[in-house]
Amino acid sequence: MTDHDHDHDRTAAPMVDEITDFEVLEIAIRELCVEKGLFTAEDHRRFTEFAEQIGPTPAARLVARAWIDPEFKRLALADGIAASREVGVDWLQPTGFGTPSDFTALRVLEDTPTLHHVIVCTLCSCYPRPILGNSPEWYRTPNYRRRIVRWPRQVLAEFGLFLPEDVAIRVEDSNQKHRFMVLPVRPAGTENWDEDQLAQIVTRDCLIGVALPKVGVTTNAITATRPAIRPVQSPTGEGTNT
Amino acid sequence: IAGDGSQVERNLHHTRALGKGDPQVYSGQAGQPKFQVGDTVRVRELPALFYTRTQEYVRGAQGEVVAVAYESLAAEDEAWDRHDQRPEWFYIVRFDLCRLWHRYTGTERDTLQTELPERWLEACR
Repeated sequence: MTDHDHDHDRTAAPMVDEITDFEVLEIAIRELCVEKGLFTAEDHRRFTEFAEQIGPTPAARLVARAWIDPEFKRLALADGIAASREVGVDWLQPTGFGTPSDFTALRVLEDTPTLHHVIVCTLCSCYPRPILGNSPEWYRTPNYRRRIVRWPRQVLAEFGLFLPEDVAIRVEDSNQKHRFMVLPVRPAGTENWDEDQLAQIVTRDCLIGVALPKVGVTTNAITATRPAIRPVQSPTGEGTNT
Repeated sequence: IAGDGSQVERNLHHTRALGKGDPQVYSGQAGQPKFQVGDTVRVRELPALFYTRTQEYVRGAQGEVVAVAYESLAAEDEAWDRHDQRPEWFYIVRFDLCRLWHRYTGTERDTLQTELPERWLEACR
């Protein structure tokens, strides 16, 4: 402090939050693309809206319906894209030819009492977004991508999933245009359950293959979440990054 | 032309694939598939300078074709938008993890599946 005592009032907070380099560049690229006619502001809004409405619910419903209806299960295993339409997901949207990064080839991987599937994209983070929503952060990490193909039992154990030796593991690496989701075995204790009840226990992690559906468990295992600096806001103003 | 993407050459793919999807837009263009379900194949050791989607960990490995998946441009061409690119067949190939990894610690029945374009595979007898 200096020795004069009048108040300079220079401690006021800045009028705006500090903007990160990423945000500056995001705005620069987006505005240049719009200005050059590569895409329109309307295109950008529509893709954002598409990304906001996807989630794991349709995939969970697909699984529940396959558990109940053998005919639908046959369809799901033979033609994942057609089965997706039955649960309200048209893989051709939002562009009319699919999303440019998820393509239009879905395969449903059926678990049995002696076979368990788990999916990964070792090359990047390919994920069946139209029917399962956005991929979890850990799924995109070099750690998961490096280890799951080589030490699947150890990685699954870290997720709390210990598979006995009489269950074979099959890792599916989505390195080209196919996307995959897991159809787990219907757990005991769900006899006479309806489709809604069944869908509730099929979490995102079950559909990836790092968890099994369990009676009474309707959310993913809670893990530490790194907060975003400026999380995406839901229409109610509630942060979704929690 | 702000806001008008109709003259952007890159949009051609969109136009062609509309209502069909991708890889369906390439169906019927690769001729007869060289491999069938059940065939034993080996992953070739092709040069992969600049780009590939064939993982290093399957190079030289022997596996079994479990699906003749679809026809598509190989990523090695598509990624560069090469003018002479031609669709080819893709296959889902199954590998035994205990043969893929030295000292694999799981069971002998653990497997891995991944998808490879025809150029990367050779028949194995």
